[in-house]
Amino acid sequence: MTGATAQAITITRVYDAPRELVWKAWTEPGRLAQWWGKRGWSTPLSSITLDVRPGGTFRLNSISDADGSEMPLDSVYREVVEPERLSFGDASAGATVTFTDLGDGRTEMTFRTTMHGSDELRARAEGGLASAFDRLAEQLA
Amino acid sequence: MAVDQLSSTFSALADPTRRAILARLAEGEATVNQLAEPFPITLQAVSKHLKVLERAGLIARGRSAQLRPSRLQGEALKEAADWLADYRGFWEEGFDRLGEHLHAIQKGSRG
Repeated sequence: MTGATAQAITITRVYDAPRELVWKAWTEPGRLAQWWGKRGWSTPLSSITLDVRPGGTFRLNSISDADGSEMPLDSVYREVVEPERLSFGDASAGATVTFTDLGDGRTEMTFRTTMHGSDELRARAEGGLASAFDRLAEQLA
Repeated sequence: MAVDQLSSTFSALADPTRRAILARLAEGEATVNQLAEPFPITLQAVSKHLKVLERAGLIARGRSAQLRPSRLQGEALKEAADWLADYRGFWEEGFDRLGEHLHAIQKGSRG
């Protein structure tokens, strides 16, 4: 695969928890509120709408504990395959989360940003940037 | 960095030839001829790529009309990388917290 068709951001984690629990953490507002976003940011339960079905609303608002600034997410579920795959996004950008049962009580979660239409270029750039940086990082210190 | 500048940086970086040109310039400045050597493309095509890179602020070109050697401008690339790191960091940190959440609730249910 050439750089031009490289994937966008991919993050993989293995959690010591059954798949159903990881799925619930993503799809139940009371659970999502407890982990979503960066440290130092809170996501009030009242701001969360999870209508977990294709075309359903995925909306929340994270608020900085330090200065009250907001980081809203207003998205739509594209694909809902419980408990294996969840994707969300709009016409320009989104993400797909895949949950794999490792069979020993652990779950592998893969998060991958996805891009459609006009922002495809940016997605490709993001993917390509990483490989560019493999070679350029030393120059930028 | 303005969003438009960031967009043009990412657009410039989306092309594998341009990334290869940047990688070559990371080793030191080079003329159009030198840059064209490894690629099966015309000097004109390389010049076009250089224009895009220059507009994106990723390279600067010398004044000398004949050779106009190009050199890397790290700042735009660094801004783009910082943006990307922030974006990635947002998710990474959330997923750390998800791990802690999963740990906490299982501990709770077990004892």
